Amino acid sequence: MSVDKMNFIVIDDSKLDCFIAEKIILNSGMCESVKVFQQASQALEHIQAVGTAQGTTVVFVDIQMPVMNGFEFVENFEKMPDGLKKNYHMYMLSSSINENDIARVKGYDSVRRFLNKPLTNDTIKAVLEEFNA
Amino acid sequence: MDTSKKIKILYIDDEPNNLVSFKASFRFDYNVFIANNTDEAIKRLEENPDISVILSDQRMPGMTGVEFFEEIRTEFPNPIRILITGYTDIESVISAINRGHVFRYIKKPWEEADVKSAIDEAHKFYITTNMLAVKNEELQKAYEELDKFAYSATHDMRGPILSVLGIIDLTKNAEEMGEIKEMVGMMENAMLKLDNYIQNLHDHYSIRRGELNITEIDFDNVMKDMSDLYDITSRVKNVRFEKSVQQNGKFRGDDISIKIIANNLLSNAFKYQRKDADDKFVSFSIISENNQAVIIVEDNGIGIPEKNLNDVFTMFFRGANDEIGSGFGLYNVKDALNKINGKIEVSSSEDIGSKFIVTIPSK
Repeated sequence: MSVDKMNFIVIDDSKLDCFIAEKIILNSGMCESVKVFQQASQALEHIQAVGTAQGTTVVFVDIQMPVMNGFEFVENFEKMPDGLKKNYHMYMLSSSINENDIARVKGYDSVRRFLNKPLTNDTIKAVLEEFNA
Repeated sequence: MDTSKKIKILYIDDEPNNLVSFKASFRFDYNVFIANNTDEAIKRLEENPDISVILSDQRMPGMTGVEFFEEIRTEFPNPIRILITGYTDIESVISAINRGHVFRYIKKPWEEADVKSAIDEAHKFYITTNMLAVKNEELQKAYEELDKFAYSATHDMRGPILSVLGIIDLTKNAEEMGEIKEMVGMMENAMLKLDNYIQNLHDHYSIRRGELNITEIDFDNVMKDMSDLYDITSRVKNVRFEKSVQQNGKFRGDDISIKIIANNLLSNAFKYQRKDADDKFVSFSIISENNQAVIIVEDNGIGIPEKNLNDVFTMFFRGANDEIGSGFGLYNVKDALNKINGKIEVSSSEDIGSKFIVTIPSK
């Protein structure tokens, strides 16, 4: 069975990486909507505002960001109501090859898994297939 | 007489006569502190943490010299201990060495020359041990920094490379010329960012490893260098650049450190402007007089939130949501200032601006 188109949120302090992610997502042909944030706090506000009004949403969040990093974002997200949380599927991205970061990602219930940067056509295909089960 | 540079020693004995004669014999060579019981000795040590040698009589009422040394070992581990005794049974010598960590053993009645040589040797040992502790601490700091660096380097150096790889992947499917040009522009930005990071890194290590090269500083020349760098930025970004130099008398210092400091502060001042502000300005002033230079960089940009004021000088700390900060700039400033005994003060309010005041003594 194939799923409907999905919503995407990209959070990365690098404008360039946001641009790449947005393009890749649009190219996937599975995109209902895509929102890009360079500040994690704005993404949190967005999620709070949208609530459950939107269907399945895939969130790509960078780990190393100033002011609010990816982990802090996830921790704040996890405080939100369960009904809202089940709509969002988190993937954490990083360019660092740090074992501690990768291990830490596994500790968060709301995070599906860790992805290496950059986001490519192949990565997004693999991610979308996880929803095809 | 100047007693500040003399070796500080402490002598403990329950016999007041011994104390008096000891002080009389050695007061010209050392800065002598005396105590006639162990409580008083501990008080002297607390008041004078730089006492380097302690001499104690073994036979005292209440507590032996060895017991005293053993007791103070945890609280005052640094001073070197010398035991003085008239009774030389082997048992007390062994326990002195094993329990009291005694450096030397002096027999009563003492010879002045023996005591002096023991004190001098003990002091040498004290200096060496302390230097080792300082070096160890430095080494520890270097290790921690290396850890932090390795973590950040993979992110900050690999980041732009991975971005470019991502764009290359995208260009494979791009057909429109405009789109491709936009992507090339983005790749350029990524490479500039990487280059900037590497230059900061280079600055960091030239501050760290580099020897200071003290020359006479002409602050007009410093100003000219900074003008060359920032006059264009000022025009392009539409930020007023106010400059003033005032130099009365000679100033000697390390040219490279001073320029690294000025450059980083100015770079930040221009970088962290408020995009929508009307009258944007950066002011840069140098006043050099009375053997010190005061450099002030002020802007009316985004400012620094109060909670971050203590962190801005930390390596890899980034306080703003911009993507150009490397977390190196102010750390390098602080590092350079440490090397040339300078000071920095910062005052800042969010959305109003920041002011950095640097004070550097002339060499």
